[in-house]
Amino acid sequence: MKMVDNLIRTSMQEYEEYLRDESRLAGTAQSISFPKDENEILEILAALSQDKIPITVQGARTGIAGGAAPESGHILNLNKMDQILGLRYDENLKTFLLKVQTGVLLSEIREALLKKTFAVSNWSQKSLDALELLKNSRTYFFSPDPTETSASIGGMVACNASGARSFKYGSTRKHIEALRIILVDGDTIFVRRGEHKTQGRSFIVKTESGRTIEGNVPKYMMPNVKNASGYYVEDDMDLVDVFIGCEGTLGIITEIDLRLLPHPKYIYCLTTFFTSEDKALKYIRAVREKEEKPASIEYFNHKALNLLREQKKSKPAFSDILDMPDHFHTAVYVEYHGDLEEAVTNMILEASKAIVACGGREEDTWLALNTQTMQQLHAFRHAVPESVNLLIDERRKTEPNLTKLGTDMAVPDEQLEEIIDLYNTCLQKEGLDSVTFGHIGNNHVHVNILPRNQDDYAKGKSLYTKWASEVIKMGGTVSAEHGIGKMKKTLLKEMLGEEGINEMKALKALFDVDFRLNPGNLF
Amino acid sequence: MNIIVCVKQVPDTTEVKMNPETNTIIREGVESVVNPFDAFAIEEGLKIKDVYGGKVTALSMGIPDAVQMLKEILALGVDDAVLLSDRKFAGADSLATAYALSLGVKKINDFDLIICGKQATDGDTAQVGPSLAEKLGISHCTYVSHIEEIGSDYIRVKKLVDDGYEIIELSLPAVITVEKGINRPRIPSIKHFKNALEKEVLIWTTADVAADSQLIGLSGSPTQVVRTFIPQYNKEIQILEGTPDQQAKDLMEKLAAENFLGCE
Repeated sequence: MKMVDNLIRTSMQEYEEYLRDESRLAGTAQSISFPKDENEILEILAALSQDKIPITVQGARTGIAGGAAPESGHILNLNKMDQILGLRYDENLKTFLLKVQTGVLLSEIREALLKKTFAVSNWSQKSLDALELLKNSRTYFFSPDPTETSASIGGMVACNASGARSFKYGSTRKHIEALRIILVDGDTIFVRRGEHKTQGRSFIVKTESGRTIEGNVPKYMMPNVKNASGYYVEDDMDLVDVFIGCEGTLGIITEIDLRLLPHPKYIYCLTTFFTSEDKALKYIRAVREKEEKPASIEYFNHKALNLLREQKKSKPAFSDILDMPDHFHTAVYVEYHGDLEEAVTNMILEASKAIVACGGREEDTWLALNTQTMQQLHAFRHAVPESVNLLIDERRKTEPNLTKLGTDMAVPDEQLEEIIDLYNTCLQKEGLDSVTFGHIGNNHVHVNILPRNQDDYAKGKSLYTKWASEVIKMGGTVSAEHGIGKMKKTLLKEMLGEEGINEMKALKALFDVDFRLNPGNLF
Repeated sequence: MNIIVCVKQVPDTTEVKMNPETNTIIREGVESVVNPFDAFAIEEGLKIKDVYGGKVTALSMGIPDAVQMLKEILALGVDDAVLLSDRKFAGADSLATAYALSLGVKKINDFDLIICGKQATDGDTAQVGPSLAEKLGISHCTYVSHIEEIGSDYIRVKKLVDDGYEIIELSLPAVITVEKGINRPRIPSIKHFKNALEKEVLIWTTADVAADSQLIGLSGSPTQVVRTFIPQYNKEIQILEGTPDQQAKDLMEKLAAENFLGCE
């Protein structure tokens, strides 16, 4: 039996769970593989190339835009490429770089960095020396923090994941130094930040076999907001940025060099409850314009707080949520990082002034000064989407086809009040149940429409499309962090236009001429 | 009503790691936190203050670093914080700790009730609370899950016992140790945080509380730790190979051979 026959499995009934991802979008596939290294990937690609079989590259399937749900063909699941390969200290960047395989989970990276403990049996002496240096240094961390820590690093790169703290630190893109990528034809390219740049929008890149790939990245302009929609492009850009956020459509990412950051010595977190949405919005403007930028600014509208109140009453899992008096209408969470206690204390005192100036009260706050309390505040934040999922599961018992309709759009700073007002007005007019929460520092809230029946669902879907058009007009994006996947393709087309999509396709054809990688994603 | 809450700083870990050479707990890289049971004691003190007025004082014995923990406790709305800190206090067992705390309590002087967590998560002895009461010569009740009533000179509490609960009335002043779940501890607010910034944690040495050197620290500790060690278990892992049917068959045979399957 050839080695590749062991790698490619066709008994798909045993692997049904791999036909869907966290979006609950389910597809079909005829075979699946779980390669452990690049050689195995090459074997698999060679076998699949004969019949030009389409390939869906999968990580931990935590994405919620359907990017990892296959349309057909083969599933290349990279979960077993889960080794942390080495560490080095970069004198120019003045930080550590961690080299990982694509299937390592975010939670594993976090734990290893926190404990400074790695499986080092295959590490080079240089990496071991760097580890010694790390052990004698302060703690370092990888800042992107999507809610789902079981995300794989490859998946995070593929969709340029972010999270609450990206308000200060930026999305995954900002923390990627280099990528090693296997192209669908089995050739390999390595792109490092600073070393492989476009000239204007034109680029040339050499593969490891010596082949030259030459072409242009799309000409469209990126919206000036937090964004995860379509290929990332700008003039004179790092080529590595084209692959970050490409949703697996250009190549198979196998190794990633992560830039680490010194972990702040002090983290103080503050949830403030206001008696109205207007006061909360004023406060958000005030804190984000302060000199000392918070690491994150998160938002919970009154319907989100009410949903938590309801869940707390009926579900034991939520009983630990603290009581919220009736006058707690809208909540804003901010997080401050710093190395000096005095500095972080001052940030809180400045926030306190803003609270009072915006009509809030110092006693209507929850302040976390240590990790335990911070985890409590984070649990409160995560309880909102969990509650939404529970509620929808309940409703699906009688209406099995219902799903939540969650938006992921962001607009420029100037349009914050306008977009919140648009959401509120439309939801009220249509009489739809909803909760709104999320990364309001980036004018990026998740409106979760909670349909009660098919009629609501239809109304919600049409609202979703209407909002996308309005957001595009405002210079915003249809997806700020979840990506386009298979679920927002029509919105991407509206945002970038036919020409933009065609330019993206032309770029894809340079790396994947037969369009075999992750078919159905982006276009 | 004036309340003293006794608190201890403990390592925050559910995964205790031991140094195999010295058989002591590795504390490096482990954050220190307020003993989780003491958080319920603090909240119970603050709840009583919310209703009856008076003040709440937090009292701890520990290394100077414990000041940080006490500052955070002040931000919950606790009025004063005292740390007994002196190298001579070091190495104390539960008896010497209770003695030292009793001196702190006597120096604070004005109190009606002392609340402790039922035990500390690092030592797990649950002895300091009752010992403290004995040192002070006042009544005490352990494992309190609810305060039923507080009068001018008594407190009535619900005490958890193995097969239910007992209602016990104590004359004040008294010591109670409280169970997890007696309340839901609050989170600091900015208001109390700002108040706490104005306050200092008082640090008292052995001289400040006129401690008898024979009754504190190692010399005041009759408990002798002869040896600490990690329990060894004879565990063996076997991985069964073959088809699922074969593996199931092998598993049944192995379980039967070890008499795990009960009667014939």
